[in-house]
Amino acid sequence: MQESKIVFGKWETAALLINALNVQVFLNFPRTMAERGGTAGWILAAYISVLAFLLFLLISRLYSRFEGKDLLDLGEYIGGSAGRIIVGIIILIHITFIISIILREFAEDMKVISLPASPISFVILFFLSGMIAGAYAGIEAIVRFHAFIVPIILAGYLIIIGGVAPYYNISNIMPILGNGAYAIFGSGFFRISSFSGLIALFLLFPFIKTGKNFKSAGSLAIGISSGVLITSALTFLLVFPYPSAIEGFLPIFQLARLINYGRFFQRVESIFVMIWAIAALLYLSMGFFLIVYVFSKTFRLEYYRPLIIPMAIIVFAISLWPKNLMSAIAMETVYFRSAAWAVTFGMTLLLLLVAGAMKKRNHRKEGDRK
Amino acid sequence: MKRTAAFLLMLAATCTLLSGCYDGKEIDDQTYVIAIGLDKGETNKLRMTLQYAIPLAMGSSGVSGGGGGGGGEGESKSIGSMTLECPSVYSGLNMVNNSVGKQVNLSHAKVMVFSEDLAKDGRMVMLTRAITRGKEFRPNMVVAVSRGSAEDYLKSIKPRQEADPSKYYELKFSGYKYTGFIDQTQLHDFFIKEESTGAQAVAALVGVNTKNSTKEFSVGESSAPQKNRPVPFEGDYLAGNLPKVGDIKGEAMGLAVFNGPKMVGELDGEESTHYLMVTGKYGHAYVTFPDPIKKDFYIVVNLKQSRRPTYKIKLVDGKPNIKVEIKLEADYMSIQSGINYESEYNDIFERSAEKYLEEGIKRLLNRTSAEFHSDIFGFGNQYKSRFLTWDQWKNFQWLDRYKNSTFEVAVDVKVRRTGLTIRNAPIQGSEGEVQSP
Repeated sequence: MQESKIVFGKWETAALLINALNVQVFLNFPRTMAERGGTAGWILAAYISVLAFLLFLLISRLYSRFEGKDLLDLGEYIGGSAGRIIVGIIILIHITFIISIILREFAEDMKVISLPASPISFVILFFLSGMIAGAYAGIEAIVRFHAFIVPIILAGYLIIIGGVAPYYNISNIMPILGNGAYAIFGSGFFRISSFSGLIALFLLFPFIKTGKNFKSAGSLAIGISSGVLITSALTFLLVFPYPSAIEGFLPIFQLARLINYGRFFQRVESIFVMIWAIAALLYLSMGFFLIVYVFSKTFRLEYYRPLIIPMAIIVFAISLWPKNLMSAIAMETVYFRSAAWAVTFGMTLLLLLVAGAMKKRNHRKEGDRK
Repeated sequence: MKRTAAFLLMLAATCTLLSGCYDGKEIDDQTYVIAIGLDKGETNKLRMTLQYAIPLAMGSSGVSGGGGGGGGEGESKSIGSMTLECPSVYSGLNMVNNSVGKQVNLSHAKVMVFSEDLAKDGRMVMLTRAITRGKEFRPNMVVAVSRGSAEDYLKSIKPRQEADPSKYYELKFSGYKYTGFIDQTQLHDFFIKEESTGAQAVAALVGVNTKNSTKEFSVGESSAPQKNRPVPFEGDYLAGNLPKVGDIKGEAMGLAVFNGPKMVGELDGEESTHYLMVTGKYGHAYVTFPDPIKKDFYIVVNLKQSRRPTYKIKLVDGKPNIKVEIKLEADYMSIQSGINYESEYNDIFERSAEKYLEEGIKRLLNRTSAEFHSDIFGFGNQYKSRFLTWDQWKNFQWLDRYKNSTFEVAVDVKVRRTGLTIRNAPIQGSEGEVQSP
């Protein structure tokens, strides 16, 4: 693939990951934290952030022996073509599922907020056309656009969480342990799936080239994303006390609607709609590119662009599977965000451990032969 | 390939133009509702009154900004209203859409007024839950309870000093910052307190003043007799009872108290001031105090809250004991007796004002616990930090325990300024120094 010659730096990679990890903030992350942790939803966000960072450090340490190789390369290293295809198919199912569901969620949310009379398929096609254009432009365009836009998205986010400061009430996050230590530190572990977007880093390693960039970009992205995830859950709970917090459909939108400084600084949710749509489009474009990229690499296809339209049709069709918004939300929050850790962290660690063991054994064999 | 990519990018960009295909709305194709009134219906569940802006009249009125209110007998061309009976708010909107030429838009609605009947039977809370679901209703909208009919209240509002009727409501309900007689109870705040386990809701109280002559004024309409006052103070009234005649008929004064979904009582203007002081939302206002030295004379100060109040809550024999400390600053505005409180007697006034406020605040606190059984101050939310988990807190049943609470109040008043007068010189007459009448 021509993209193999493309190299991007630390900030570009980090920006892509920051958007991939934080796009859920604009959907339902603060609410799901409140559902699980109660008044301690923000502690749960902090806990999974620490876990994700520790796991990432472990993965980057294991990855140091496979610099420049993505998960498919690791699969191939372990099991040849069969290994590559198995890993590729697992990743394809994983990414296609979440991108299709997120596409549906964003379209539904847009319909609720701004386009109530438009048919859902029409709204999905809006996003899909952007995804197709992004995939045609390629990963370099997508990544460079992320580097430029992500700071703007972060600034918009800061305006929203700062703007609702007059509504903060510290007593809203009491009792401090919310739904209890087990809900946070026990079953809350599986919410590490909120960092499943890190899989993009493990797939784009060939474009990053050096292990140093891999580690620093990943650390920077997890650091900034943790800040965003924790502050989103904390701000939402400071403004909407538990249990009212678990009712909100779009937490950050609901926060933005409250901002009201005098007669002139009102209706800030228009900023929300803009940054939200941009973040969604960037995330979906990146995810859609990964689908066609992984497919072409899995099956050793020289060109990925002919796959774009067929894949777009598949994604469009899957996005229409959920019979309603509630089903789409449940598919994301109940199923995906509970199980995605198994692919992003579980499979990656497994591949790295097995590949590492094989490499060590091969080295030993080579040493014996010598 | 570059051409294809550029073409696709252009195609994607043009998609934004398609957003008008289904949802395009012109600003002048909408009817902007600025106030909604809900009463019990005669022929249906609800009687809904919509007050809407008439932009053409606003543009041609020639009235420019300015402050002040309105509401009166004269016709206001900048607003229109419509009343209908319907089974629910949304079905009512459908019925209105069938009547008015332009589609009803609620995104500029500033206030939602519920009749006392709806508030007392719990349906007001049910209705607010329904409207928080709709994105059309903004969370900053003021929620108020009307003493009497909400329809009558809204129809009594005819802004004459304001070209923009929505500005009239914004100013009216933010006036609590310099009167202290109501609280700006927003839909968001009302809604979360209805679901809170540590606080209960209040709503601004509004009403229509029906007096046409000063002869109709009566001390009996005030709460002065209950407070053993010979004459009422400025805060001793509920909305609709103020001793005034004039063009402005609609009044906002006092608070409606809720216990769970039902309205269980009313606070007058003075109690609302005390409520704001205890919750830390008090801005500043002119407050009248009895003169501590000369009976039947009054001292008026501009009183403001200098610090956030502090609370100390503990359990004594399983009952909450709540200590509230409030710090206030005052500027003398009027000393009727002419006594030099500014210098030698300042301490006497400060102690007297503290005692007066402590008694008033304690009376209010005891009313909320013993009479209303409603923690409208949110003491429970302060006490939550003593618990480790939500289940422990929930099982504690704060709202049930609140009715047995005991209170201790400490108010600290410090006079900071004296206006433009630093002392009072005696008034001179033919017989020498004359005492104030």
